[in-house]
Amino acid sequence: MLAERVFKAVGKPIPRNEDQRLITGKGRFSDDFSLPGQVWAAMVRSPHPHARIVSIDPSEALKMPGVLAVYTGEDCRKDGLKPIPHSPVPSTKFDMKLRGPGDTEVFAGPNILLPPDKARHVGEAVAMVVAETLEQAQSGAENVVVDYDVLPWVADSLAAVEPDAPRLWDELPNNVLVDTFFGDAAATDAAFASAAHVVTMKTHIGRVTGVPLEPRAALGHFDPATQRYTIYAGSGGAVRQKQELAAVLGVDPQSVRVLSFDVGGNFGTRNRSFVEFGLVLWASRKLGRPVKFRAERSEAFLTDYQGRDLVTEVSLAIDKDGRFLAMRASNLSNVGARCVSLSPLSKGSGLITGSYNIPLATLRARATFSNTMPTQAYRSSGRPEVTFAIERLIDKAARELGFDRLELRRHNIVRPEQMPYQNAVGSIYDSGEYEKNMDRALSLADWQGFPARRAEAKSRGKLLGLGFANYVESSIGSPKERADLIVRSNIIEVVIGTQPAGQGHETSFAQVTADLLDVPFESVKITLGDTDIVSAGGGTHSGRSMRHASAVIALGSEDLINKGKALMAHLEDVPLDLVQFEDGFFRVASSNRALNWFELAPLAEQDGLPVELQGGLRVRRDNEMHTPVFPNGACLCEIEIDPETGSVDIKRYATVDDVGRCINPLIVHGQTHGGIAQGVGQALWEQCAIDPASGQPLMGSFMDYGMPRFDNMPSFKTEIVEVLSPTNPFGVKAGGEGGTTPAPAVVMSAIDDALSEYGNPYIEMPATPTKIWNAIQEYKNRQNAA
Amino acid sequence: MVMYPTRYHRPKSLEEALKLHSDNEEASYLSGGHTLLPALKQRLARPSDLIDLAVLPDLRGIKLEKNVLSIGATTTHAEVATSLVVRKAIPALAGMVGSIGDRHVRNRGTIGGSVANNDPAADYPSAVLGLGATVITDRRRIAADDFFVALYETTLEPGEIITRIDFPVPDQAGYAKFRSAASRYAVAAVFVAKFGSAARAAVTGAGSAGVFRLRDLEEALTRDFGPAVVAQCKVDPAMMMEDLAGSSEYRANLVLVMARRALQHLGEACSYK
Amino acid sequence: MQHITLTVNGTEVSRDVEDETLLVVFLREYLRLTGTHVGCDTTQCGCCVVHLNGKSVKSCTVLAAQAQDGEVTTIEGLAGKDGTLHPMQEAFHRLHALQCGYCTPGMIMAAVNLVETYPEPLTEDVVREEMEGNLCRCTGYHNIVKAILAVAAAKQLAPAGME
Repeated sequence: MLAERVFKAVGKPIPRNEDQRLITGKGRFSDDFSLPGQVWAAMVRSPHPHARIVSIDPSEALKMPGVLAVYTGEDCRKDGLKPIPHSPVPSTKFDMKLRGPGDTEVFAGPNILLPPDKARHVGEAVAMVVAETLEQAQSGAENVVVDYDVLPWVADSLAAVEPDAPRLWDELPNNVLVDTFFGDAAATDAAFASAAHVVTMKTHIGRVTGVPLEPRAALGHFDPATQRYTIYAGSGGAVRQKQELAAVLGVDPQSVRVLSFDVGGNFGTRNRSFVEFGLVLWASRKLGRPVKFRAERSEAFLTDYQGRDLVTEVSLAIDKDGRFLAMRASNLSNVGARCVSLSPLSKGSGLITGSYNIPLATLRARATFSNTMPTQAYRSSGRPEVTFAIERLIDKAARELGFDRLELRRHNIVRPEQMPYQNAVGSIYDSGEYEKNMDRALSLADWQGFPARRAEAKSRGKLLGLGFANYVESSIGSPKERADLIVRSNIIEVVIGTQPAGQGHETSFAQVTADLLDVPFESVKITLGDTDIVSAGGGTHSGRSMRHASAVIALGSEDLINKGKALMAHLEDVPLDLVQFEDGFFRVASSNRALNWFELAPLAEQDGLPVELQGGLRVRRDNEMHTPVFPNGACLCEIEIDPETGSVDIKRYATVDDVGRCINPLIVHGQTHGGIAQGVGQALWEQCAIDPASGQPLMGSFMDYGMPRFDNMPSFKTEIVEVLSPTNPFGVKAGGEGGTTPAPAVVMSAIDDALSEYGNPYIEMPATPTKIWNAIQEYKNRQNAA
Repeated sequence: MVMYPTRYHRPKSLEEALKLHSDNEEASYLSGGHTLLPALKQRLARPSDLIDLAVLPDLRGIKLEKNVLSIGATTTHAEVATSLVVRKAIPALAGMVGSIGDRHVRNRGTIGGSVANNDPAADYPSAVLGLGATVITDRRRIAADDFFVALYETTLEPGEIITRIDFPVPDQAGYAKFRSAASRYAVAAVFVAKFGSAARAAVTGAGSAGVFRLRDLEEALTRDFGPAVVAQCKVDPAMMMEDLAGSSEYRANLVLVMARRALQHLGEACSYK
Repeated sequence: MQHITLTVNGTEVSRDVEDETLLVVFLREYLRLTGTHVGCDTTQCGCCVVHLNGKSVKSCTVLAAQAQDGEVTTIEGLAGKDGTLHPMQEAFHRLHALQCGYCTPGMIMAAVNLVETYPEPLTEDVVREEMEGNLCRCTGYHNIVKAILAVAAAKQLAPAGME
């Protein structure tokens, strides 16, 4: 842990460095790049959820004006393209270890750029057309004739695990790729058997999609002179993309350069390579022209990696005084047509007991294939699902057993003196003051005033409900990070391998660096996104970036200061222990010799320095951290329902979030706001709906997919709490995903509360007006019949 | 997606516009473009020619004469919504038009384009039908009751151009709509109007055959023009559209709720979601 | 082919374009003004908002030819010639009303037009209603509302040095 100090920049709400270019239209998003001679790609996509590709006839397309080539899975096979190495099984030390049925290796289903055999979901690309203009490429794609042999399909996960369900992969006997059991079955069963009460709930946290506003795009270019591939493509990690694309193309990673500058939102959707990225590079080499792909919004809805889709059945064993004795959970994740990431299932598995001291638990974690777009991590990967399960289960228990839902939570919540706390499935919560979060959130939301507000709403014919949820979530992420710290003539440059898409790394990392090296914030510049400069790094996901970056920068700063001191000692010809670094100056004790970084740096370039001091005033530092951290908090919302229309209006939303040390509260509050919106969106509007009769996705555009908007979101009251984590130098937890984690639970808790007088109907997310109205009608009909 | 190639024309007169259309079988008229261009961008149609009516000054403008409010076909929604003339004469109409789409859409979208398209969830058809307006074209006058046929279908002949729409000024009018969370179009919306002892009520967004008059309600309103009579009316779910935004029972319910709210807030347009 | 002439950010430009060229494509690909963005295909997201003849419009649903003889202002033309930021740009920066920045150009152009043309004082409810034509996935809208209200309150619409 870093020695306590007075921070000048860290902790301050400094407006961001990245803003200048973004507010003046000078951002560098993938589609902003063009190269001379570039041509355009359009994809031919399967209209069927499941079909054998019998043949592909490109002849009509090839006759069309401007069409240069049509590529198929057969062409990929001939050129020896390899599958994308998605590495879907999380494998850091503390990840829950998911296994295939019978404790086998997980079979993920290979992801060749264009499949040679079958299309396994609506929208799977089966061919690519390249033409001089985008319109010509789209017209060409319309004229590629694909002969499909339509196969039976299955989209719903519960149907997909049935023994007679249509099978996606011949390599497995059925669609189940993960089936792992965690916990102590005997002890848990015993606790259930002797418990005074058992409460059970089954629910489906449905599928949504990330909808980053920048559609994915890639511009690929092969230069025969240098034999190098260059790709402009926003992603969740340029270094990872480089390695994956090199593997696909069968080349040395050094011959691939990825340029990922400004990224228009990620939220997890860009954490894995898209087939089009490899395809444009490959096509560029074959055609000798740069090739550009840009997804339409409808393509993004159809074929961006999607999120969530968990069926969960949970039970709680409770004693007569309301103490939680044990928990059982059975979680089924729908990974889609192939598995690109098991992060949601894995991360959720480690948090099924939530913020509560539940001494025993068992979990069956399963994953199934289905004829749908693959899913992967999406904002707080896996945690909103399990938070929803435990929080709604506790609400149900409180109602059925006659406990107050807040008291029941207080009675069981993990206490500060229990930290670090190992939960019943093995996760070790590092730090936190959970009950204090509750108190603070209740106060922030003025829950005392709720009865009066409820009465006032009633007088207008409306139903006001109060929702409450605690949460604890985890941040693990890729364990390795690298930072190059380079002192130049008037700036300190930090090269690092994270990949922001709005999180403000160019600012917050500069704050950290400035305070560690005692330079003004304005003197630090952060370099990201070009793999010819960024040699290594873990990308950005799972809230890992601030923690890993601050740690590796802290270690690198120590190295840099040491190098500076050694250099100063050498130049001044004094013993090392007479050199001090203080207030940004290297001083020789008992003399007035002092140089700052920018005075010392040029002296580091001179000839004749000893070997260990050569190379300029710069260091490279690697760091590896596996220990996860556990951001946590509490939140409340009030929702007003109009029973005549089912309309939902969020009147109040308050959160308390323990993010560990908060480097920049302006940025962290912003992350909370955006995270809340995504969670609320899932609860109220968002759904990747599929027609049960045809298997066709029903939401192809913003006309069908409801979004959080200015006029359906409230303003928020958000508060940051800083209980420093003992696991890393700055005590950082994470601030990017805590807004989302409790949001579906708290919204449905409020709606449930509002509908108390209508029998607390079960409503599955998204809680649309029509569902709410139907539930009220059904209650009324039952009352009338009785 | 990228639109199919086409030819764009700026006619200098209505006659030239008509001639361009008759010379090119596959031509389409263009006004605000906010119905046509989105469809073309989906590659749902391939007009050979686009004839821009918005460049014809005579098709644009708002006039009130002898209790008839005339709105030129290429008048934008923003112009109608902010017009002091419209706000004074038929405030519910101004309010309704001010709730179409969003600010940017209203700066381009026009009454002529909207009415000619007859989207089953668009707002304007309910006002045209609800006020018993007259659609004036280059060749005839069409009463609202004779204009709307089915989803996206009107009685306009090929090449026929709407030049303006004349709205009789009612004694009172009101509008209430319930918007879909995603598309923001009406799931159900009702425009009510009182002309002396006569009453009209037109529904958009809900009917499976497009905009329609709620005769049940109109009869009741002639006896008593106010929200109380809505409770006596019924809407048949079998006539309603059914989709993700709402079942037919839900829409049938919404129609009556919106009717009542329109009558409770006469002289205004209310928007719910 | 259309030969079109219009003024963009104060400069007259003339180009030959395909008839079906959208205004946003004209700006991004012909003029290389890549600040205006495309985020959807149903005229809903607002990333493409620019000013055309003083009105905010969605440039993805306007043909370049329809802008003939028109005056277009894009995000690149908002700041003063000397680089002085427009108060809306300043407010977005100071109040953290952007994260990834993709919706930001259209958002700022929409907000500027709202503050300039809305006839009554802006309240939070009015801002939320009037800005519904612009989507943001990162910020949850909270800070954008704050920024717009701050600018409306200050009501300084012309940056110093712009004339």
